[in-house]
Amino acid sequence: MGSADEHHGFRDGVIAGIPVSVAVAVGVLPMVVLFVESIGPGLSTANYGEVVGPLYRGTLLYSLGVGVAVTAICLSIAYPVTYWVAHRCPKRYRLGLLVALTLPLWLNYVVLNYSWVWILARGGLLNHILTAVGLVGEPLDLLYTDVSMGIGFVYIYLPYVILTLYVSMERLDYRLIEAARDLGATNRRVFLDVILPSTLPGATAAALIVYARIAGAFATPAILGGPGNVMIASLIAEAFRQYFDYGFAAALSFTFLAVVVVALLAGAAIPQVREELRQW
Amino acid sequence: MTALAADGLSKTFGDEQAVDAVDFAVDDGEFFALIGPSGCGKTTTLRLLAGLATPDSGVVSVGGEDITDQPPRERPTNMVFQDLVLFPHMTVAENVAYGLKQDGVPEPKRKRRVEETLSLVEIDQLADRDPEELSGGQQQRVALARALATDPDVLLLDEPLSSLDRSLRAEMEAEFRRIQRDAETSFLYVTHDQGSAMSMADRMAVMQDGQILDIGEPERLYERPETRFVAEFLGDATVLGGTVTETGSQVTVDTPAGQVRADPNGRAVSKGATVSVMIRPESVTVGSGSIAGTVTDHAYKGFFEEATVELDGGERVTVRRGDDSTAELRSDGMAAAGVETDAFTVGDTIRLQITDAVLVEE
Repeated sequence: MGSADEHHGFRDGVIAGIPVSVAVAVGVLPMVVLFVESIGPGLSTANYGEVVGPLYRGTLLYSLGVGVAVTAICLSIAYPVTYWVAHRCPKRYRLGLLVALTLPLWLNYVVLNYSWVWILARGGLLNHILTAVGLVGEPLDLLYTDVSMGIGFVYIYLPYVILTLYVSMERLDYRLIEAARDLGATNRRVFLDVILPSTLPGATAAALIVYARIAGAFATPAILGGPGNVMIASLIAEAFRQYFDYGFAAALSFTFLAVVVVALLAGAAIPQVREELRQW
Repeated sequence: MTALAADGLSKTFGDEQAVDAVDFAVDDGEFFALIGPSGCGKTTTLRLLAGLATPDSGVVSVGGEDITDQPPRERPTNMVFQDLVLFPHMTVAENVAYGLKQDGVPEPKRKRRVEETLSLVEIDQLADRDPEELSGGQQQRVALARALATDPDVLLLDEPLSSLDRSLRAEMEAEFRRIQRDAETSFLYVTHDQGSAMSMADRMAVMQDGQILDIGEPERLYERPETRFVAEFLGDATVLGGTVTETGSQVTVDTPAGQVRADPNGRAVSKGATVSVMIRPESVTVGSGSIAGTVTDHAYKGFFEEATVELDGGERVTVRRGDDSTAELRSDGMAAAGVETDAFTVGDTIRLQITDAVLVEE
């Protein structure tokens, strides 16, 4: 009896052990190597010292700032959109609309970025339309600016925010809104007292999912941003590929990771947010 | 004085006429019930009154003032929703204070009014609890308090008791009646449960297919309904078709089951007219009489026994006999010999005496 259990225990251990070791090897080992690299050569904090120096600290803060700003824009678009789809749109159109809204999720994001180059360029679609209609005399310089980078970011990350927020928006009982209106609430009070408290966990989860990806994005600033839009990912890539300064690149990555993880843990400490994150 | 009035309210959804030219008025301090089977348009009517839906035509007025174009937040009416929909992230006291807060009632007054309302519905001790910790009956009271706190002219209630079990529902019905009297507010209560409505309401309106068929006091609607639908909706009723053979304060109607005397129910009928006669189980005395029938089914119902009797001509009538009724009837000479003192027996032929039959419209 006991030996059978032990036998089972051993077999279970082997069965579970193999995938776990693969996961550790694939997931954790490169991180360890990277970390060792970042504190080398020898045992020094020189690389980290350079990271927090004024030059790189600025870029790090700028990246996080872009992450926060784009996330905020995505949420302010996703709130009315998900409210409308979940509560005002006729049921039979709902699924089709959701699929349409989240279609960019299935396309390669480099391609998505280039589609905006084609739209925003001086000879692009938008300028063609604007000059043809006569709204502007000269084509506008939209590409390679804050605006074009912002549009690209919002376009790529809005679907994630919409999907995550939609789940809690749909769960919100519409009659709560009616009850608040019936008791005299204005639209602003309905949003603050009923919609926001019920959907805040979903909004926080959405923010946590996209904000780190935006702050650490490589392709969008490279394709749609101007020379001034230097973000942390391109510095890391530069350090690796142009200067072969692996230690510094690793330290830069880890500092960024630390900032992101701290934000994630702070968010995930809220039980309702953890519940929303579980679906990912 | 009229508290709330609906004049020619109509609403269509696509091809469906949900509410069709509905007229009625609720008096000040009245408990008014709007009843009908599910899908009859009663909830839509209530939503039109609350401003949660817009009528295609018609007027809603409160205290004589036209409020048809006012949004729900400006209306002097409050609603108690079917599933209560208490605000889940607010305490009981915060739920009750919500309407007062929106109206800009300042803090000390607001707090006093919340306490007052909570004690009216007898849940003062639950003020700081979260709604989800409460039992079904307690949640009912919170929903009622939330809607009553701002002292609305009319309270609109949408089947709030439908989720409760039978005994709790009866208890809450009595409480609704008491609270309505104490708050001196008009209640418009929508339900499909004719029993609840009859036990609570001062007056009620019966709806079918978007139209109001009859309005009146519960006794009047039950005993002298205008139409066959109202008669059957409010309780067991047998309707016999026949021809009038004699007129007067009572009319005599020849039915396939035999001759029945009936109240004309305000209808002018002439000899030879085809009419319908409505009979309630309690207007049928078992034992003697001009009508014969065969027992086809019987059921023990606790304090009385019920049987279905097939009359000559094929119509079925429900009859009842209380535990002691046979003995009582015998002592006052109403019952005849030959009636079993115990259960009805299927297949037996029994004789029936019909009193208090009334004419109804088909």
